[in-house]
Amino acid sequence: MSKREVYIIGYGITKFGEHYELNPSSSASQALSKAIQDAKISKDLIQSLYFGSMVSNRNNQSYIGGKACRECNLNIPITKVDVGNASGAGAFHQAFIAIKSGLLECIAILGTEKLSDFVNSSTLEKILGGTIDYQWEFEQGATLTSLYAWMSQAHMKEFNTTMEQLASVPVKNHKNGVNNPIAQFRREISLKRFLSAKRISPPIGRFDPATHCDGSAAVIIASKEFVENHSEIERKVKVVGSAQSSDKISLHHRETLSSLLATQITSKKAYEMAQISSKDISIAEVHDSYPIGEILAIEDLGFFQKGEGGKATVEGKTQLNSDISINTSGGLKARGDPFGATGIAQIIEIVQQMRREADKRQVDDIKYGLTQNVMGTGASVLVHILSNMEDDK
Amino acid sequence: MSKLGIVSYGSYIPKYRISIEEIAKVWDDDPNEIISQLQVFSKSVPGPDEDVATMSVEAARNTISRWKGNPQDVGAIYVGSESHPYAVKPTATIVAAAIDAEKELTAADLEFACKAGTAGMQMCFGLVKSEMIKFGLAIGSDDSQAKPRDPLEYTAGAGSAAFLIGKERVVAELEGTYSITTDTPDFWRREGAVFPSHGNRFTGQPAYFQHTVDASKGLMEKLGTKPSDYNHVTFHQPNTKFPLTVAKMLGFTTDQIDISLICKNIGNAYSASSMLGLAHILNNSNPGDRIFMTSYGSGAGSDAFSFSITDEIEELKSYPLTVEHYLNNKEQINYGKYSRYKGILR
Amino acid sequence: MEPPKIWRERREKYLALGILCQECKRKSFPITLYCPHCSSENISELKLAQTGKILHFTRVTQTAEELMLYAPYIIGLVELDDGIKVTGQITDTKLEDLTEGMKVRMVFRILSKNGEEGLIGYGFKFVLI
Repeated sequence: MSKREVYIIGYGITKFGEHYELNPSSSASQALSKAIQDAKISKDLIQSLYFGSMVSNRNNQSYIGGKACRECNLNIPITKVDVGNASGAGAFHQAFIAIKSGLLECIAILGTEKLSDFVNSSTLEKILGGTIDYQWEFEQGATLTSLYAWMSQAHMKEFNTTMEQLASVPVKNHKNGVNNPIAQFRREISLKRFLSAKRISPPIGRFDPATHCDGSAAVIIASKEFVENHSEIERKVKVVGSAQSSDKISLHHRETLSSLLATQITSKKAYEMAQISSKDISIAEVHDSYPIGEILAIEDLGFFQKGEGGKATVEGKTQLNSDISINTSGGLKARGDPFGATGIAQIIEIVQQMRREADKRQVDDIKYGLTQNVMGTGASVLVHILSNMEDDK
Repeated sequence: MSKLGIVSYGSYIPKYRISIEEIAKVWDDDPNEIISQLQVFSKSVPGPDEDVATMSVEAARNTISRWKGNPQDVGAIYVGSESHPYAVKPTATIVAAAIDAEKELTAADLEFACKAGTAGMQMCFGLVKSEMIKFGLAIGSDDSQAKPRDPLEYTAGAGSAAFLIGKERVVAELEGTYSITTDTPDFWRREGAVFPSHGNRFTGQPAYFQHTVDASKGLMEKLGTKPSDYNHVTFHQPNTKFPLTVAKMLGFTTDQIDISLICKNIGNAYSASSMLGLAHILNNSNPGDRIFMTSYGSGAGSDAFSFSITDEIEELKSYPLTVEHYLNNKEQINYGKYSRYKGILR
Repeated sequence: MEPPKIWRERREKYLALGILCQECKRKSFPITLYCPHCSSENISELKLAQTGKILHFTRVTQTAEELMLYAPYIIGLVELDDGIKVTGQITDTKLEDLTEGMKVRMVFRILSKNGEEGLIGYGFKFVLI
């Protein structure tokens, strides 16, 4: 594999939430322009834009990257990457490959979504139906939420995972979200509130799913040579692992519902690329769109033994500055989930942590940080590993 | 010469029931008075995901499964109903695909108020007898509509019955059929209208009774039979009182008609009404039994049939999804749920 | 749903069809051009078992507009008697009346309606035996 090293040299992110007043392209250009400013380089040095968005075409402007580039006065190749609601990490992975290939030196990556325009939640449910087996799951009546309910049931049955353990995931994430200025929800929610909420799709309760919101996130990545040749670049974080893999899209075709095979395979590939193991990770942003999502993630990424995720969470082992700090940003749950922007926002959280910009949610002594972005029920999973190590091994 | 008759039969009744009492409560009517007038206690209500096509398919599948034959041998499908889901796009085509009978067959949807299903049976008898087809499937199916507070609301039920007509392994041999048709405007629904209208008491004597009696008498005269020759009889059941009255007028006893009276529990299943009665009788009949049936359809007309049960019936009686099964598989709902399921609440 | 899609999918949605691979002898669902296990083109149509048992079930309250008429409804993961697993609604029942492992039978129901004037999508669902 190419030895060429890839760095994140700048980031920009909008506040996540409901921004009814904002055009989709304005949201996107805001993040992009902030990222360019943060990188401190001349924007003319950016050679290409990869953008990830799942829903942008439903706002009647599928090529949002094009409008954002005009607003930022960029005239560069623009490519949309679609990995459903993991399109952000999907775009990052493609841009990483482009730098690794040696063909490009400096790329902007944008994840953007404007979901508050869909005031009828049925519309978004249908769009999300495209991330599961549309014909044989969605049209049969299944929704993303109901399928995550089955996965929760499978985990509860196999490992005696409890409702309390599941609910302790969003409790912790809301607690972390309080200190994240871009999070949609900056307030704590009690365990009791989660547990006493109506079960919309048992065992999933009304407050369990992450909310779908507006938001854009962008990063600038560059090759080591580029960084060395541009002394204006002040801060950089190294990308040491980038991987993607897939699993059968329909749950009825899978052997088990209590693990995400794609997370297991992808993380293995990413650890190999980074030449580290799961034990080296001190901070991770994982896909907690439903409580079971985080429990599956921390097990399938190798942080905890299979079946121990719920227990570890309730025991506080995933809290800020504990064994491993999971979703210090508040996760999808507290930050909000603008599908395509989420994967980039996860990476930005790790960058902020490594640059010690995380303020009250700062984790100390980070060596490696990981992000995991999931499409649908795990038909595609992306894992990225960033390194804080000054020198190469 | 091989026999011509019914080769298999199948039925379907939706699970939900609303009681007369529950409907009467909404309109401040006296339920006891209505029950004693109609002798109906509850009516069947399809779930929100059911319509005439789904009920027809269930009855048709029960017919084919009970028969254990090859659906590809079905040469005709006729679905009689006054509540087809499409005004244009035949229910019969959906049934054909859903029982895997596509595509070498003739098919059509029929409408003759409550007797379109038996008209389909006559068409199948004709096609089979003339050897144009080997087997024909005639279905009567309705999800009948009634305007809220209209007296019809107490009885407008739902259900489906299907009969496979052929010459092989006949379980009920056709001894004869005879029809009466006149232009009698007792009940109608104009194109585009949601609910039917009717002539109240005019639907009785000159309509239901006259046609049912004329067709029944006409067939018995033709065959030289009399009511006492039959073990069982079924008539159209707009309520329970009408068939009981017409049976008495013709000289049938309560014992002869009793098995057929499903209306007590499911109301008037319109096109499926007399046919569900026949399906229920067949499942309770024995070789050698003779069965009489007269349908009635507003507008108006009656089709009368005379059948003789063969030894083959025993083979089919063990099939589990019988009229009895569906009569027992029920859940009571209130008027609110009823309004929602019927699409009255929008 | 658009006419070509309803037309194309009618047999598999109405009859619940899969394939039987003539090479590796394995069954699979839904119909595909190649055996998903061994990639053979030598496949034949297979009618799935009409009965099975519930592995997982939950309630759906929020879904696409064309299905909202029927919501809340129950969606289940059903293992058919031939070992094939399918996703389908358990209709004519309530959440409280269900437990894992219950036996179900396939029925023919409306899956969705395209507004007041559009086509009706029919397909298979399940009822408790």
